[in-house]
Amino acid sequence: MKHKALIVGRIAALLGILQMLCGCWDRTEINDMALVTAAAIDKDERDGIELSLQVFMPRALGSNSGGSQGGGGQKLTLVRSSRGQNIADAVSKIQTKLPRKVFWGHCKVFVLGEEFARKGVREEMDFLARHPQPRERAYMFVSKGKAIETLNLLPPLERYSADMMRKLSELKIGLKVTMKDFIIMLGGDSKAAALPMLDILPPEEGEQPSQGVPYIAGTAVFKEDKLIGDITLQTTRGVLWLTKKMEKATITVRPKDAKSGFITINPNHHVIHQTPRIVNGKWQVLLSIQTSGDLVQNGTNWDPMNLDLLHAMEAAVQDSIKDKIELALDEVQKTMKADILGFAEDFHRSYPRQWGRVKNRWDEVYPTIQVKTDIHVNIRRPGLSTVPVAIPEDEVKKK
Amino acid sequence: MLEKGKISSAQMAFMLFAAVVGTVILSIPAISGTYAKNDVWISPIWASFAGLIAIMTAYKLQSFYPKLTIIQYAARILGPFPGKLLGLAYLLFYIVMNGHGVRIYADFIVGTTLPRTPLIILVATMILLCTLAVRGGIEGIGRAAQIIVPGYMIAFIALILLILPNCNAEHLFPILEHGLTPSLQGSIPPQGWFAEFFLISFLLPFLSDKKKAKKWSWVALITTTLTLVVTNLVILCLFGRNISSYTYPLLTATRYISLADFFENVESVITAIWVIGNFVKFSVVHYALVLGTAQWLNLSDYRPVAWPIGILTIIISFWSMPSQMALSHYTTFVFPFYSLLFQTLIPALLLLIAYIRMRDSKGDHSS
Repeated sequence: MKHKALIVGRIAALLGILQMLCGCWDRTEINDMALVTAAAIDKDERDGIELSLQVFMPRALGSNSGGSQGGGGQKLTLVRSSRGQNIADAVSKIQTKLPRKVFWGHCKVFVLGEEFARKGVREEMDFLARHPQPRERAYMFVSKGKAIETLNLLPPLERYSADMMRKLSELKIGLKVTMKDFIIMLGGDSKAAALPMLDILPPEEGEQPSQGVPYIAGTAVFKEDKLIGDITLQTTRGVLWLTKKMEKATITVRPKDAKSGFITINPNHHVIHQTPRIVNGKWQVLLSIQTSGDLVQNGTNWDPMNLDLLHAMEAAVQDSIKDKIELALDEVQKTMKADILGFAEDFHRSYPRQWGRVKNRWDEVYPTIQVKTDIHVNIRRPGLSTVPVAIPEDEVKKK
Repeated sequence: MLEKGKISSAQMAFMLFAAVVGTVILSIPAISGTYAKNDVWISPIWASFAGLIAIMTAYKLQSFYPKLTIIQYAARILGPFPGKLLGLAYLLFYIVMNGHGVRIYADFIVGTTLPRTPLIILVATMILLCTLAVRGGIEGIGRAAQIIVPGYMIAFIALILLILPNCNAEHLFPILEHGLTPSLQGSIPPQGWFAEFFLISFLLPFLSDKKKAKKWSWVALITTTLTLVVTNLVILCLFGRNISSYTYPLLTATRYISLADFFENVESVITAIWVIGNFVKFSVVHYALVLGTAQWLNLSDYRPVAWPIGILTIIISFWSMPSQMALSHYTTFVFPFYSLLFQTLIPALLLLIAYIRMRDSKGDHSS
């Protein structure tokens, strides 16, 4: 008898445990969620902010792949926005306009409106870092004008504008800054930060206004947590050299003694060293750049197979890089006085004691830092042509 | 003897590793980072000395009183009444430690992955599982550790390798900017965890291969130290010196993993592995507690006390801890000293007294 009771007891226990397996009472399936692909934060005309979310529409994707392949321009996302005191408040208000639960886990792009960024971003960054859903790997941008406009665009080549912005960032033409990087910069010794600046390429005539495309127009410069200005893409290239982030470059110059035409090289391998030094009480940064790449276009009549001419070409490229760097220093260091070059961190690492002494008046020290450059360009290969093509041989300058 | 099962020295090493690393890896790097800044990776090395002391004292005491645990030899060393009192203090220490450990684990799960699940469900299911494991005896826990911990280590190594491409070694510098003080200060919270190596005193009597015990406990200590050093290094290289601004730096680091744009969002896998690692931890402490209680009460079997102590642990995990912030304050300012007192200082004093007693009794014989 006792045996039987034991068996019955065991079966009852098993059935009880089975109940726990179905776990459906609070299921949240994919069609109960509003997947945010991008978020834009703008300044409200009053005190708060205006948050806009670009939400993915899975149904649109389904009909698109099944029926006619319309290519780009198909609306896969919708944009909802709301005002609020801060992001958390605005999200709760957007939620009233969305039948599905807002889910941040796939949000790969955050765009800060210019006006909003000028007011200071710290307060809203806290939400993004504290909430468990937003990803630290999401890319951050600042937009010229209102940020919501970048979400409304339907770029023809990508599925939605967030995808386009993400891919632009990954190309590393301008800066590539993730949320984690931005937070580190804001909290770092430099007390300055930089984000890629987005602008909108206006649509062609006859196209819908939403058919413009976002592109990276330069770099937005933050001091403390406030936007103080922006620099052009040209100047950004200099910043990339200075911060060792340069990856792909296309440098087009006219060699000094060439009669006409330009040469272009694609340096794709860089060794950049940035060494802070204090010499006789003077603070210096020694920037040594070694870069090499192939010749991709030669519009001059010079023969690159001649080593003397090749060196002249290299010298011209060196000067061009130096000019970019000086341009960047001039704007960022001398005019804006924002340490987005990370000099504070560098000196802190190499000269902790001296840095500790100037820490509180870094704003005064930073613009006085001298940057010395030492640039070596090596044009390694001529490409598939030796002498300049399409000119008679006797016009080619071989010496 | 209450426990008839036997474990191998290797199993003991796995159990100790899980017992220390289980919870320390979640939030302690951030607490260390508050003080140590970019010397945070040095802190576990200092802290490992607490583990060294704990293991050495446990060994010496064991050699004086083989086959006994601290609850039993405390009574032999100090005499029946003070010994029992100290035994009770130890039981209270371990039940509070386990209760708060479970709370750290449950807060972590609720705060990061299961926001709508009541805390009590996580605490209760974990203790339920641990109690069942404890009732199965030390052999069961030992074998579970042997299976789980290698998986834990493989996952940890894979995780570190995946984070590495995002790391920037520049964040390490300047090393020792403000001297040794910051890293020593930062080592105090992990010291409390390293002292948990004293749990070895509950495992040593049940080893089947006592000769290898010493070697394997050093292996456990070194692996634990290395794990924490690597964790702190990776977090530091990823986030820079302000790692204290993250509640769970290693979790945030796993969220940063991205391989070829599609291998992403792996933190739930990591969380699952942490959960089973923590299961081993709580089982080991719970086992020590249950066995100790049975020995303290001179029971003939330890199994009947497993459930009541499990329920007490659940209650303690809620007592006096209104929030995660309060718990974090406790683990920073109270637990390290409490833990060091009970797991290094008092055992060392016991050893001293035992040594004097032994010497005196020997002297009596010769005269």
